[in-house]
Amino acid sequence: MEYTNPELPEGINTSKEHPLKEFFILTVGLLALVFVVISSVVILVDNFADKIPFEMEKNIPVSSFIKNLDTEKLPPYLEKISQKVINSFELPEEMQITVHYVNDDTVNAFATLGGHIVLYRGLLEKLKHEDELAMVIAHEIAHIKYRHPIMSVSHGIVVGLVLTAISSSSGNSVVNEMMGTTGMASLMKFSREFEFQADKDAINSLIKLYGHADGALGLFNVFDSEFGKDLTFEFLATHPLTENRISQTTKMINEQTHTHGATMVTFTDEFQTWLKIQKVKAKEK
Amino acid sequence: MYDLIIFIVLLGIGYGFGRHAETKHYKSIIKREKQLNSIPAVASKIPPYRRNDLNSQLVTGSVVISIDYFKRFIAGLRNIFGGRVTSYESLLDRARREAILRMKEEAKNLNAEFVFNIKLETSSIHKGRGNSIGSVEVLAYGTALYAR
Repeated sequence: MEYTNPELPEGINTSKEHPLKEFFILTVGLLALVFVVISSVVILVDNFADKIPFEMEKNIPVSSFIKNLDTEKLPPYLEKISQKVINSFELPEEMQITVHYVNDDTVNAFATLGGHIVLYRGLLEKLKHEDELAMVIAHEIAHIKYRHPIMSVSHGIVVGLVLTAISSSSGNSVVNEMMGTTGMASLMKFSREFEFQADKDAINSLIKLYGHADGALGLFNVFDSEFGKDLTFEFLATHPLTENRISQTTKMINEQTHTHGATMVTFTDEFQTWLKIQKVKAKEK
Repeated sequence: MYDLIIFIVLLGIGYGFGRHAETKHYKSIIKREKQLNSIPAVASKIPPYRRNDLNSQLVTGSVVISIDYFKRFIAGLRNIFGGRVTSYESLLDRARREAILRMKEEAKNLNAEFVFNIKLETSSIHKGRGNSIGSVEVLAYGTALYAR
């Protein structure tokens, strides 16, 4: 009896398809799937989140968080500008805005649950005009007006749950990470839309108060020189890239007003001195 | 963003090196299979001929091949969508054929005429994060018959 091993043809146990083809189909499929799922969940949540009464939002204990920030009493000038901007919004009665000031170098300002707005000294120091300050405050008030804080919190919770549910079933850490990033990127899209919406309302408020909205451009130019070129992809960022905000704002201003090159109101000497004293105080600490 | 860049770089490295290694390996496998085809290896449990002038001896060949980043990623995606895990198919195909070749090389060193009762065992020897397969081992063994 003769035994021989035949030469088997190739490609019986392997696929002749190019691996990159499979890679693109699967990756694009997964990205699209996660994007669609997260977006629909977020849209669904948005339908409910802004129905939560503002009264209830006030009861969510963020006050302790704000207290931990070491806030200080607002100087009269800041109080006056804040009040002026708040009044320009004609918010519903229950929507009370509380402006806080933190003596810290952080160049930032934010709005959070319960109508709280926090301004950092770091940002105020970079500004030179009342218009720019009004833009910052108006932008944060607009966030509260549209219930962005409660919506963001709801997005975070729900998307976190969905992502955990999906990723716990895949069992591959790299794929999980990719799904997580895609989920976050889809969420950031909504965050950037919030920013544009807030910018738009803030610009309207500025026009109402000053007759022009150069303060908005002034503020974004401060961002531009402060943070320089954004070293990130826009789809991964919470805020639109500054250059896009500038072009968007310019477009909006051109559509709404004809007054250009109007002079902005500079900060009072009193306020500038106060800021300097605050800086010295912060150093002493 | 840096995560994304690192991820893309790792995928690129995995694809580039993995693909290169696979192509090279297949070339070598096909070449050596032709060379060693003169020694038949069969799964039959019974020796093909009873001759008193033959000795028998165990011959083994084992190989460990690692998955690359790219293959693992595709397999991870397949975990979600299902379907043929082609990236692992070629990996295991290579591993099995290489293990048999190494076994046959051992048989050749004995001047064996024949290897019978060959068996293959496969195991994943490294489980990475999230129990993803890191590398596979294939062991081939059989009984070689060689002239006394």
